[in-house]
Amino acid sequence: MLQALLISNGLVGLEKYYVSNELVQYTTCFITKDFNPDLTPYDLLVVPNGSDHVAMLKIKDKVRDFLDAGKALVCCDGFFTAWVPGNQWVMDNSRPTLEVRYAPGTDRYDLLRGFDLDELNFSHGMSGWWACGYIAAAPAADVVLADTWQRPVVVLDEVSTAGRMLLTASGPLADVTYAGRTESALVTIYRNFLQLVSSSTVPAHG
Amino acid sequence: MAKIGLLFNGVWSHYALATAPKYRDLYQLLYVHDLDAAAVHDLDALAIPFQSNQAVLTEKKDLIYDFLRAGKKVFLEGDSSTAWLDAQWEDRPVNNYWWVTDPTNPPVSATNYDHPVYQGLTPRQACWHTHGVYTHVPESAEIIQTNAEGEVITWQTHAYGGTLLATTLDPIVEHGVQQITHLDNYMDRLTQWLCGVRPAPERLTIDAAAYGAGALV
Repeated sequence: MLQALLISNGLVGLEKYYVSNELVQYTTCFITKDFNPDLTPYDLLVVPNGSDHVAMLKIKDKVRDFLDAGKALVCCDGFFTAWVPGNQWVMDNSRPTLEVRYAPGTDRYDLLRGFDLDELNFSHGMSGWWACGYIAAAPAADVVLADTWQRPVVVLDEVSTAGRMLLTASGPLADVTYAGRTESALVTIYRNFLQLVSSSTVPAHG
Repeated sequence: MAKIGLLFNGVWSHYALATAPKYRDLYQLLYVHDLDAAAVHDLDALAIPFQSNQAVLTEKKDLIYDFLRAGKKVFLEGDSSTAWLDAQWEDRPVNNYWWVTDPTNPPVSATNYDHPVYQGLTPRQACWHTHGVYTHVPESAEIIQTNAEGEVITWQTHAYGGTLLATTLDPIVEHGVQQITHLDNYMDRLTQWLCGVRPAPERLTIDAAAYGAGALV
């Protein structure tokens, strides 16, 4: 079972979106003024939607060391500070959300399996609801999903460090199943990544 | 010189609004973990956005009430903890698609358009979606917006010296996110109400240099 550290900046209800299950055990780390968590006991660092990227910048070297130890990071938020190795989220409002459509790119681990892409393209008929801006991705990273203008919105990076990073352009992901309901795309992508990280036979090739 | 302190939880939408050329001369990011009395002393108003760190705000609530006692303005949006506020906030499912599926039944059914923030707004500009409701507000509160069930969405009180305006709308966060195109209308009125200066009537733009290695933090 993966041990994951969930970074929390105190958003109301955050922990109900990351519930421990057969794949992963979550420990929540609340950001304080002296934020400096010990990452070594964990396999996975989760920086959820709505996170504190001032705090993450403070521990950028620690995150780098964590990844260089072969561990994994999920950041599904707009990382406006430069703490993610090799990649940078860029805010951009120059494209109309009405025209946003997503297209699969390089998906060597089939992270997009098990859901209909239109779940991300449309919510109640509205487009452009999921991601914001785009990721200036590391040159050799996999662009798993791109938008209408071929800008990366989901990136799998196994090259910038010795570990794995799954990054979204602020497209929220979650790890929660509601009884009797089909898992949403947001959960399916995330769990597909967890299964990849859990697999000891597929090391990151960084 | 900035007149409004935007309490900053490190969240990108807070950052996007406060660093946008349209607003950056009026709003100053106040990182919540560094917040102290000196940081707010010269400001006219505080804005507390949705996705704030309510636990830290509770630890620092005296600072907020001291600011109000000085006769200044505080704007609070989105969810809010009852631990520092004399009000009861309750969560409700967010309906951000009503305008597609049921456009005659918006999440706000009554608005006092005499309030300066709401003067001149259309109903659509005055409500996009809500994050919960207030089921209890201070006795002194004026009710500005309610939903169809009569639950309070927006209220205001002068009981603490200055003016506290609280709403479960989230104009700061949503305008930072830039997925709703009409929010300049609300934010420009709110900004003027908070500090007396109306931003230029132009669309919010992004300064790319403020992102990444050039981030202003």
